[in-house]
Amino acid sequence: MQRTPRRRGPLLLPRKAKRPAAVLRRRILVIVPVISRSAGTDRPVSSHREQANFQMLTSSSLFSGTRRRLLAALFATSLSAFAGLPAADLAHAETRQGGDIVFLIDSLGDTWIPNNSAISSFQGHIWGHVTDKLVYVDAEGKVSPWIAERWEQNPTATEFTLHLKSGVTFSDGTPVDAAAVVANLDIWYAGRKAEGINPIGLFPKTYDHAEALDPVTVKVTFKKPTLGFIPTLGYHGSILISPKTLVQPASTQADLGKTAGSGPFVVASWKEGDYVKLVKRKDYNWGPPAVGQTGPANLDSITYKLVSEQSLRVAAVQSGQADVAYNPSPQELKSLKEEGFTVATPRYLGFVDGLALNTKVAPYDDIKVRQALQAGINRQEIIDTVYTPDWKLATSFIQSNVPGATDHSALLAYDPAKAEKLLDEAGWVKGADGVRVKDGKPLSLTLHANPYLATAKAIDELLAQQLGKLGWKVDIRAYDVVTFGEKVRYGSPTVPAYEVSRSFIDAGTVAGILTNANNGENWFALDERDTKLNTLRDQIAGAGSVEARAPLLDELQAYLLSQAYFVPRTQMVQRIYVQSPSLKGETYNGLALASYYTASKVD
Amino acid sequence: MRHAYLSFAGKRLAQAAVVILLAYVFTFIVVSILPGDPVTNVLRNPQNGFSEEEIQSIIAAQGLDRPVLVQLWSSLSSFLTGDLGLSLRSSRPVTTMIAEVLPSTLTLATSALTVALTLAVLIAYGTQFLPKRWGQGLLRGFPSLFLSVPSFVIGLVLIHVFGFKLGLFRVIEPDSAWATFFAAVALGIPVSARIAEVLIANLDQEARQEYAAVARSRGLGQAALFFRHLVKPSLLPVVTVVALSFGELLGDSLITEAVFGRNGVGSLVQRSVATQDLPVLQAVVSLAAAVFVLVNLLADLVYPLLDPRVTLIGPARQSPTKAVETAAPGAAA
Repeated sequence: MQRTPRRRGPLLLPRKAKRPAAVLRRRILVIVPVISRSAGTDRPVSSHREQANFQMLTSSSLFSGTRRRLLAALFATSLSAFAGLPAADLAHAETRQGGDIVFLIDSLGDTWIPNNSAISSFQGHIWGHVTDKLVYVDAEGKVSPWIAERWEQNPTATEFTLHLKSGVTFSDGTPVDAAAVVANLDIWYAGRKAEGINPIGLFPKTYDHAEALDPVTVKVTFKKPTLGFIPTLGYHGSILISPKTLVQPASTQADLGKTAGSGPFVVASWKEGDYVKLVKRKDYNWGPPAVGQTGPANLDSITYKLVSEQSLRVAAVQSGQADVAYNPSPQELKSLKEEGFTVATPRYLGFVDGLALNTKVAPYDDIKVRQALQAGINRQEIIDTVYTPDWKLATSFIQSNVPGATDHSALLAYDPAKAEKLLDEAGWVKGADGVRVKDGKPLSLTLHANPYLATAKAIDELLAQQLGKLGWKVDIRAYDVVTFGEKVRYGSPTVPAYEVSRSFIDAGTVAGILTNANNGENWFALDERDTKLNTLRDQIAGAGSVEARAPLLDELQAYLLSQAYFVPRTQMVQRIYVQSPSLKGETYNGLALASYYTASKVD
Repeated sequence: MRHAYLSFAGKRLAQAAVVILLAYVFTFIVVSILPGDPVTNVLRNPQNGFSEEEIQSIIAAQGLDRPVLVQLWSSLSSFLTGDLGLSLRSSRPVTTMIAEVLPSTLTLATSALTVALTLAVLIAYGTQFLPKRWGQGLLRGFPSLFLSVPSFVIGLVLIHVFGFKLGLFRVIEPDSAWATFFAAVALGIPVSARIAEVLIANLDQEARQEYAAVARSRGLGQAALFFRHLVKPSLLPVVTVVALSFGELLGDSLITEAVFGRNGVGSLVQRSVATQDLPVLQAVVSLAAAVFVLVNLLADLVYPLLDPRVTLIGPARQSPTKAVETAAPGAAA
């Protein structure tokens, strides 16, 4: 029997089974066939021999506590030795119930007002366990039902009808019904600005209103076609919060312990800047079917503990004092893997890490200089020196896992000869010091290291070396988050290249962000000058179906990269996890946030 | 005497109020000069996807676009009525936030001070009575060594040895007894060096006095000589150093708390500075100013108890420190 090396998905087991002895006997009968979700295909992995072992394993549960575990391990080891099976595989055969894990995180962010903190790389972890969303978006950007069981839209994508699961409740007892969903949609769109409750930045600005048709049906109306609405419901910001919490003032919403969500975990206790302890909600029964589990979580509790020292987080996992360390240094990953720790570098759905060039700042108003930059960057070298093979080459200006992303690697090939030729043609002549000059001015590029990406400066230094060989004079400026926010803006005359890090859930919103239409951000300072780009943007925004939009998106990607408005560096990994080998079965969603809803501990 | 005591204390308290008020205003001005503000820092995170217009409308809605003086006046007037306001970063009441972290820092600071005093006295005792061949000279080098090793280095070494290797404490439980002890050691060692230096210098001076020689000739034991005769006159400058060190403890606790993962005033300041959370910073700075002033006042009040020659209000209205200086030569005679 062929065996999968490591099963990330949980095994399908009867979720409502309480705890061991009597119930376990029943479980033995139901466990056939045990299903693994590995490699995207559902394939039974159970064999008669494994079942026999499993039976022995569960019979030991007549004992309790540590002794039971010890005995189970003994049985498992000796039996598998007889049967010639690796012991580790046995552990997979049971999705263990119970267990507590500790997740070490570098920050717990600023506020806990749901609207203001849902998109945070830090608080997002907690919200992902405490709240549910209307739809689920997996790491490949596939949208599937969750609290919304199904939905319809009109042909122009201006009206959507959501049909909700019934029987879902928030942890304060309020039902998750149509009225609750309308209250959430309203506050996502508008916030309460005077009170300091911000709107959700990426919620469609075209939102008009929502109404409850009956307790389980919501009709949402938009002013313009908004094909991205349904995927947006799976985005960070779109977390469902009890209407009782939403009517509270900002200072009450800021108290995490008073906020009620409908997720598989509830907040047991928390202390600002210290920890958040979540415990499982026993009556949870409405998980997203896409993760292969809908009942209560397997783990009893998850504690998110702030440890700001990067080396301490990793050392604590290595010494067995914690289960997961967030954001270790990429350089440590190789040795951690060799030590047997699980390393995850999930990619979010969004833009790749790259430079948005300002076409109003010379010499980047010259397409040849931009194209020379595009061809003059050795992207493989970035991965080889700054990162590990876990990072992927950019194939477009959006991550390759985004639905609608197409492969344009040819446009991003490293070709120094072509770059030199383009610069020669553009009139930039190499001086004695190797720097190219035109009209007395050196060929310069100022890079402002992205403060939201820990490795940004190291990449910039490498780019300075690579481009230096071609005749560029590269200056690197590294600001803190505050100064960066003040001084570095798209299209600013002092910023020839803006380092982008940005996630999005639906590729349809991309063209709107890049240009200046509809409060767009005008990344390349093109204003209305590029009619082809604007036409593509309008066509994409007006598309009524994903099928009609796909070729337009492909054209947009090819056009932006060949014009070299956007210069990708690598695909973006902003979240790195190091995990103890005894924790299995976690899932990563389209935002690269880890969920331990389906996870369990193995001995 | 009692009246003098009270009027002295009253005057110092009035001075303290002025110091705290100045600290409050100064913090406001310094933070206002810095670019950015806590609200826009969060809004400008590219993940949010807010346009510049939206950001400006949110700032205006919260009154953060008003002139600095108007904002100062409104915050000062509520401060004077005892309302510390809401944190701009977390939207929670500042008093709640400080109450959450204060016990941890007070525990750490007092344990560190205890560690520092114990260490300092042990070292000082050793320098007087440890036989030369057992390393008395080496012991005299300890204070300089302690001062030159930063507390975070000591902290990291302690964590790796006692936390990870020996498993005495878990880094994820920084408030456990052992973890607190080692944090106090890391924080207390540099402070002990300063106390020990002053104590050793004074003990050397006292040990050379005739009364010490007399006591020894009468057969008094080392420990009795040390604790009964030498320590008390050497303590006066030590009290000054301890009072000053208290400020150092508050400042250093920021680093120690970060290293040990403790959630105290230091880590609250760190988060608030990073996000320019003005209401919290002002409250903490005012609190620190109050503690500093109070501890120094306490030191001033302790001097006359240690040395009857020190009076708080002499005829020439000498400051206590001056009184000590003029009194010292008399003692030597």
